[in-house]
Amino acid sequence: MDNSNDDLYPLALLMDELKHDDVANRVDAMKKLDTIAIALGPERTVNELLPFLNEVAQDDEEEVFAVLGSKLGEFVPLIGGPEHCEPLIRILLILASMEEPLVRDKAIDSLNHVSTEIPHDMLLRLYLPMIDSLSQGNWFSKKVASCGLFKSVLIKVDAATRRDLLNIYYKLASDDSPMVRRGAASHLPTLIDKLTWFTENYPNSEDKVDNKDWEIISQIFQHLINDEQDSVKFLSVDVLVAILEFFQSVNDSSHNSEFLISSLKLIGDESWRVRYTAADRFSKVAKNFSKNFADLSKLIDPFISLMNDNEGEVRKAICKQLPEFCEYLGEYAGNKDVILEKIVPIIDKLSQDPHENVRASLALSVTHLSPVLGKQSTIDNLLPIFLVMLKDEFPEVRLNIISNLSIVNEIIGINLLSVNLLPAITELAQDGKWRVRLAIIEYIPKLAKQLGESFFNDELLSLCLSWLWDPVFAIRDAAVNILRELTEIFGSDWANKEIISRLLNNENENKNAEGDGVTENSKIDYSNFITRITCLFTITNLVPVVDVHTVENKLLPFVNSFADDPVPNIRFNIAKAYLVIAKALVEAKDTLPNSVSLIEQILSKLGKLSKDEDFDVRYYSDQSIEEIKKLTG
Amino acid sequence: MDADADVPMEDVSDERQLQQSYDDAASHHSYQQSYSLKNKELSKSNINQLDDWIEKLGKCEPLSENEVKTLCDMAIEVLQYEQNVQPVSVPVTICGDVHGQFHDLMELFKIGGPCPDTNYLFMGDYVDRGYYSVETVSYLVCMKVRFPNRITILRGNHESRQITQVYGFYDECLRKYGSATVWKLFTDLFDYFPITALVDNKIFCLHGGLSPMIETIDQVRELNRIQEVPHEGPMCDLLWSDPDDRGGWGISPRGAGFTFGQDISEQFNHTNDLSLIARAHQLAMEGYSWWHQEAVVTIFSAPNYCYRCGNQAAIMEVDEQHARQFLQYDPSVRPGEPTVTRKTPDYFL
Repeated sequence: MDNSNDDLYPLALLMDELKHDDVANRVDAMKKLDTIAIALGPERTVNELLPFLNEVAQDDEEEVFAVLGSKLGEFVPLIGGPEHCEPLIRILLILASMEEPLVRDKAIDSLNHVSTEIPHDMLLRLYLPMIDSLSQGNWFSKKVASCGLFKSVLIKVDAATRRDLLNIYYKLASDDSPMVRRGAASHLPTLIDKLTWFTENYPNSEDKVDNKDWEIISQIFQHLINDEQDSVKFLSVDVLVAILEFFQSVNDSSHNSEFLISSLKLIGDESWRVRYTAADRFSKVAKNFSKNFADLSKLIDPFISLMNDNEGEVRKAICKQLPEFCEYLGEYAGNKDVILEKIVPIIDKLSQDPHENVRASLALSVTHLSPVLGKQSTIDNLLPIFLVMLKDEFPEVRLNIISNLSIVNEIIGINLLSVNLLPAITELAQDGKWRVRLAIIEYIPKLAKQLGESFFNDELLSLCLSWLWDPVFAIRDAAVNILRELTEIFGSDWANKEIISRLLNNENENKNAEGDGVTENSKIDYSNFITRITCLFTITNLVPVVDVHTVENKLLPFVNSFADDPVPNIRFNIAKAYLVIAKALVEAKDTLPNSVSLIEQILSKLGKLSKDEDFDVRYYSDQSIEEIKKLTG
Repeated sequence: MDADADVPMEDVSDERQLQQSYDDAASHHSYQQSYSLKNKELSKSNINQLDDWIEKLGKCEPLSENEVKTLCDMAIEVLQYEQNVQPVSVPVTICGDVHGQFHDLMELFKIGGPCPDTNYLFMGDYVDRGYYSVETVSYLVCMKVRFPNRITILRGNHESRQITQVYGFYDECLRKYGSATVWKLFTDLFDYFPITALVDNKIFCLHGGLSPMIETIDQVRELNRIQEVPHEGPMCDLLWSDPDDRGGWGISPRGAGFTFGQDISEQFNHTNDLSLIARAHQLAMEGYSWWHQEAVVTIFSAPNYCYRCGNQAAIMEVDEQHARQFLQYDPSVRPGEPTVTRKTPDYFL
């Protein structure tokens, strides 16, 4: 008897929660819908839960509907398979017809998902009438909903039905309500992609896509491209891209002249949102014309006009397209001069654009022009631009240039690059603002990889070490971390020679001249607490990335030498460092015969620290001892 | 006793006795040694709980009301045994007003290094004016309980029942918790905060400034601090006074405390064998400002105070050799406006 009560419980609980006054509670309850359905089992879900939800879907708030709409998409397995899915689809249909876009979109997504889980005949039987009736809905929201459903059936029907569907779609795309036209425009690229996929995968199907289909699509496209609302028109850029991709996939360039006219019309549109979208997808469009020099050349002036656009957002978008477009151009001999004569002067202008986002966007792409232009032109024309941008007041601009220097390095070689750019990098590394310094530091490992070890040692290593003594903790911390990354790049021996020996030798020398406090250029004054703790952090951080003999012979003795430090903060960090070292020793126990005795040593040192007068030292020592004992079993 | 009408009488007398017996003990020994008089050590589960809270607060998420209650109980355990002149050893980093600018407090730790690796001394005014007084004071109190030897938090004139009702902390508690309970818990806790600190016997740290009724640091030790900040008298002055270019004592335009001139500062430093008085309480455009030929320094750690003053903030690192380094910083890169929970305050119901 208890069992039957238990069975009722989940549904009763859900119903209770869904009557709660607070929307947040009802939303939370709805989020647990799948759990409830699992608890009820398929039969009762169909017989009890779905009818209940059918009512809920007509009487609650949008937040609840949105959750319900997305949850139901996963429901086919929970109702025991597709044969019982009609009530499910009915609920989703109610939600899909709602005016609130959030609810509608979730319900449409779920309907599309359900469509993939039901058999073909059922799909046609349920979905085709649904699309038909929604598209003739008496209210715009139903029509908008129908636009989103075409993709579930479009390539699963025969050619005649497909044309009927496309004709319905044409009506939607020329509907009086802009919301409906928007819906049609935004889903059209997906539909065209489906047709492309179908054509690629079933080239010999008797239902294959032919000119009759394209006539309708072309009419739809013409409607959209001439729409009076720019919020519809800008969506046609993606439609164009999808159409172009279809014709590229079937190697058909016979319509290129028409497409070029459409492209130019969109690029030159008076609404900036349309121009922005055209600029943002420029190379996708240009790709279609890249096989024909005459067509491609016709895009050069439009490209330049977008670079000169009044709107910053448009300029920002077109800057991103520079590399690809110039690459297409660069494939034709003689076009290098066109780039140099026509495009580079405008790049020069954009490098000092009043909008920092435009400059940042340009900085991200401009280095990619080096391979297109070649060595000499890079040196003559691009390097001056890089230098200007490296000194930009907006950090992202500088960083974007630096992050992409390796491309330039490959073209002009490291020497030229360093002579020209290192002064700028060094200058930034000593910038008064710590976030600027931080930005450069974080980039150092990348730079190191590009420049190689010997060059790095000569030009940048001392800079890296100098950051260890920066007054700002975040910089010291970053320096500690990059020294580890650099060790991972250049290896244990490098770390030994270039970092560890410097820190350790100084330590020894300092001991000899104890209390002197005299510091030469290369000497580190260990009387300062911050210096000691930074060295300790550096050394501890290197333990996992250097070879275990270095740990044994250099790092462990170094750490030991701090165990009696007068400052408790050092002592509890020693306790933490011992744990890191012990981990390294345990991992290397096969190659290091005395690892066991070293760990014993460490434990005895920690034992001493765990009786320290300071609570934190005792605490972290105990923690480390406990962890080490776990490691060693 | 008019001024501490807010404090339950039993508590006061209790603390009085404790303070008294403690002071007796202390006067026989050196002041530094006896602070662990009744120092309870944290249990492992307490530590884990505190670490969780610190992580949560570090993301600017406030604790629940019950958590605040537990935290304040734990904090009283720690703070009631601290002294009116809490001894602090070097190295330490000394900070001024924070005023609920939580993200700038996080910036401060990026500049000075995280606690507990770096020792900190905060000189009051954690709440009011900024948007995140609750998170700021919860975070600092959590750190204090978790690492009592690594961080010292003094009382500022804003750590008071009266002032917080006017300048934002009270309203923020109502907004974030729906009732004044958390405000009550914190303002009750504020009574236990130490009012001054002495760094290695050389740097006297406090929120406001000197008082005409205090000539020696020992006189501060004799005060009963466990009460609401009084309207007048030595404890009020320590939290309210300002240094001034004019010599001698002056009437403070603030209506509480006094202004004190270079002669007063020099005399006080000489009498007490100090090298410096470090205090907060006043906006400094560079984040810090020297007074009285470096006898007094003002440190202010709320950059772009009230989100519009355009000032830099600063902290002062004091190393083992008593060398001082000021670190200045700008406002943190601020995330979007807070997501304030939609809870109707009780007074609307």
